[in-house]
Amino acid sequence: MSKAPPAADGRTTFGNVDAHREILSLADVQFGYSAGAPVIDNLSMSIDAGSIVGIVGPSGCGKSTVLSLVSGLLSPTGGRIERRLDGSERHPLSMVFQKDTLLPWLSAAGNISLFTRFKANRKHRFTQVSADGQAEGGSQEEELAAHVSSLLRLAKLTDYAEAFPYQLSGGMRRRLAFLVAVASHPQILLLDEPFSAVDEPTRVGIHEDVFRIAKMMKITTVLVTHDLAEAITMCDRVFILSNRPARVAQEYKIPFGTERRMLEIRERPDFLELYGHLWHDLSIQISHSQGNGARLPGPAGTLN
Amino acid sequence: MTNNWSDSNWGVLAQRCMVIVVALALWEFLPKIVWLQKLSAVFDPFFVSSPSLVFQRVVDLSIGSESQPAMWSYLFDTLTGTFIGVAIGTFLGAFLGLLLSNSPRLQRVFSPFVAILNATPRIALIPIFVILFGPTLTASVVTVVAVVFFIVFYNAYAGGCSVPVQTVQNVRLMGATPGEIMRRVRLPYVIVWTFTSLPNAISFGLVAAVTAEILTGKVGMGRLLLNSIASVDATLTFAVVVVLSVVGVALVTLADRVQRRALHWWERSL
Repeated sequence: MSKAPPAADGRTTFGNVDAHREILSLADVQFGYSAGAPVIDNLSMSIDAGSIVGIVGPSGCGKSTVLSLVSGLLSPTGGRIERRLDGSERHPLSMVFQKDTLLPWLSAAGNISLFTRFKANRKHRFTQVSADGQAEGGSQEEELAAHVSSLLRLAKLTDYAEAFPYQLSGGMRRRLAFLVAVASHPQILLLDEPFSAVDEPTRVGIHEDVFRIAKMMKITTVLVTHDLAEAITMCDRVFILSNRPARVAQEYKIPFGTERRMLEIRERPDFLELYGHLWHDLSIQISHSQGNGARLPGPAGTLN
Repeated sequence: MTNNWSDSNWGVLAQRCMVIVVALALWEFLPKIVWLQKLSAVFDPFFVSSPSLVFQRVVDLSIGSESQPAMWSYLFDTLTGTFIGVAIGTFLGAFLGLLLSNSPRLQRVFSPFVAILNATPRIALIPIFVILFGPTLTASVVTVVAVVFFIVFYNAYAGGCSVPVQTVQNVRLMGATPGEIMRRVRLPYVIVWTFTSLPNAISFGLVAAVTAEILTGKVGMGRLLLNSIASVDATLTFAVVVVLSVVGVALVTLADRVQRRALHWWERSL
């Protein structure tokens, strides 16, 4: 799967490969803190450009660590992580954290345009994305204003452009955090359990917006979640990680296409069947993490 | 119904007024009881004066009288020393707090020095300031700076360190340099925590300025206090203390109002 040659040099490299495909590859990645058992051991996966990939696994297995390694916030102790960017001026990578990272003294619009305040992005040209996914142009100031306003509209936050984060509900703040991350039109977006604190009905609404915007802006997205339904409804592929040290225990392709209605999907028999299979495989890993090898009851076999 | 009224804003205000009236009444009338005067100097009108006399002296201080020049030039000197000292001390404390909170290396180098300087009794250094700068406004300003700096520094430093780690990681992924993280992310937190420390900084700054003036004996309300002590004039002493208290409360209230208006997002985000 991975095009990257496995090498235990612990480097994160940045390539500009034109692409049919693989934008991100992890080859035999290892990671551990200086004292203690390894957290990740020989983890390999490859991710296609424009796809949405989910990572699930037992609690504490190292899911968020994988995102920290991909983002460069941590360095692998072995193996290789390769980001094959397309050479455009799109921002390389953004992340939505589990905790709120909005700046409380800036309005919603101010938070979305925050990245333009940093020197590295001053020359950024904004690609205002129209409904058909095509980029539009203009002067930089106009582009920024139009860009911010189009993002707010896509996430149904138009009326809250000048609101401060404390004036928004929990669900709105999560939507805004997502907009802040995609505002620079990143090539890779990492989502670290970003919706876990939101109630179920609100969460499903956010899933629909996030899925639509990520697909429209052609952003490769890696979603770490503990919510299997979230992973199945939003992702093109789902990796189940093993108990620590984490490696890929199972990989699922999700056959729901690029046009999805989140509420309807959840009622479909194939969703329920897929959910059962994922839960079965995940339960095996959870059993291992709890110190017993016994399987929890569930359907046998996997859907690969 | 009664409980509701006593818990309301007006009820609390009325209760406060009652406490003040009772305290003033005790101060006014207890020293008039002869056997109490003999019991302790605390009840001797010569040492404790009375609210009515103090009020009259405050009026005299405000408009001037034959025996008492108006206090405004003294108050102006004290406030000038306090304002300049608080401004310089606040700026330096906030700036150093910001720098150290943004740089682990600077933290490691400078934190022992800051701790040692903070442990030094700065009031004891006032005579040195007086020798260095003479019995002038400068000595007051330097004293205020020495006191205010540490109050603000520790708050600003804590504010800079209180930025959530994910927030820093997030802007770093957006392409922010360490300098931009300091200016765009840590600075607002430092400003908030600096504002929070301002009431204390102003109160202690005023005390430091008056203390320096008492030791120099040349300028400000401290000189008036020195005069009152020299002439064993308890009424003047209490009048100066009342004026300084009112000024202190007014300055702290002003700082609080500015903070609430400028940092509304902070109060609501908590």
